[in-house]
Amino acid sequence: MAASLSSSGSARLMTALARSSVLYNSFESRSLHVTAVCCKNRAARIRIGKGDKPLTYEQAHHPHQIAHRKGWLSQHTSNLKGVEGAAERTVEDVFIRRFMFGTFHGCLANEVVIKRRGNMLVVCALMLQKLPPQKFYFLIGYSESLLSHFYKCPVKLDIQTLQDKAVYKYL
Amino acid sequence: MAASLALRRDFFSLAKILGGISQLGPRGLSACSSQRKCSQTPFHFLQTSSPFFHTATYLSSTPLTITVTDEPDTLFQKVLVLVKAHDRAVLDSYEFFATMAAKELGITMGKVSEPPKDIERLTLLKSVHIYKKHRVQYEMRTHYRCIELLHITGCTAQVYLEYIQRNLPEGVAMEVTKTAMEKIPDHILEPIWKDHPIDDKSSK
Repeated sequence: MAASLSSSGSARLMTALARSSVLYNSFESRSLHVTAVCCKNRAARIRIGKGDKPLTYEQAHHPHQIAHRKGWLSQHTSNLKGVEGAAERTVEDVFIRRFMFGTFHGCLANEVVIKRRGNMLVVCALMLQKLPPQKFYFLIGYSESLLSHFYKCPVKLDIQTLQDKAVYKYL
Repeated sequence: MAASLALRRDFFSLAKILGGISQLGPRGLSACSSQRKCSQTPFHFLQTSSPFFHTATYLSSTPLTITVTDEPDTLFQKVLVLVKAHDRAVLDSYEFFATMAAKELGITMGKVSEPPKDIERLTLLKSVHIYKKHRVQYEMRTHYRCIELLHITGCTAQVYLEYIQRNLPEGVAMEVTKTAMEKIPDHILEPIWKDHPIDDKSSK
């Protein structure tokens, strides 16, 4: 409702109110208060377009659908009550996502899922079949050994490949 | 495990439907073609390298040695296992797994309760610069599940807890509280005034 008032409908509403105020007494006229446009939520939302933009299931759902229709991309225990270490895990996650994006450039079909089981880091990703499997295996082994040396814990990669990106809807 | 499958439901189900035979891998393809003709794969069998593959995490565990000692085993009156997670469905499946394991091992279970969830909320400003009236709220929910084990020996407790903890899903934390039973020390068993009645008479 507030959104429709702040967009093009506001001009028509103002003229309608002005016309109505001429007929009625001036002390009965209502004033219009338009809120700033920043009240719209823009976090992790892709705006509606012409209908040619393909979206995956992750991108199509808004962040308030997490725990309802979406799962979590990074699973660890440090955000639970009474557990510390949330900041360190977040920094590690950001680095791992950028590393995966760079190592498998153009091959990622969807977001990287990071899971922590005990001491072990499991990085799960969906890839497109752009490279031959030998190169994929080399990159998987390279990233596993590099990340395990960097984080001093066993790192395993779970890769599944697809022909094309899994499209959920077009916006 | 049953617990980790619940987590993958949203993310991988779509990929697995579309990936189709991507799970077979090159080894699976050759086995498939040797036994019977797969209608989907003759095109890929002719190529030298198959584009389908998928790697999975294999957890290897070293076999534990069994030690026999003569000292008496510790007895636990109660072992409380409190599990915390962000997702209630994960806790449901983990509780099913833990209760089934306890029943198979013959461990007497107390009640399995669900303490009320804790929600930690943060309120932040929505905009970078001004607009103090517009804020954004984030919350972190912690769900709990408490499993009680009654009258359990130390060895059984160690084995059961190790099994439970190896299969703990990611994103789930566990706290174990053990209530041990100890033999009453001998000097407390009898009251002191019974042993030394002569002292009172001599002081008078």
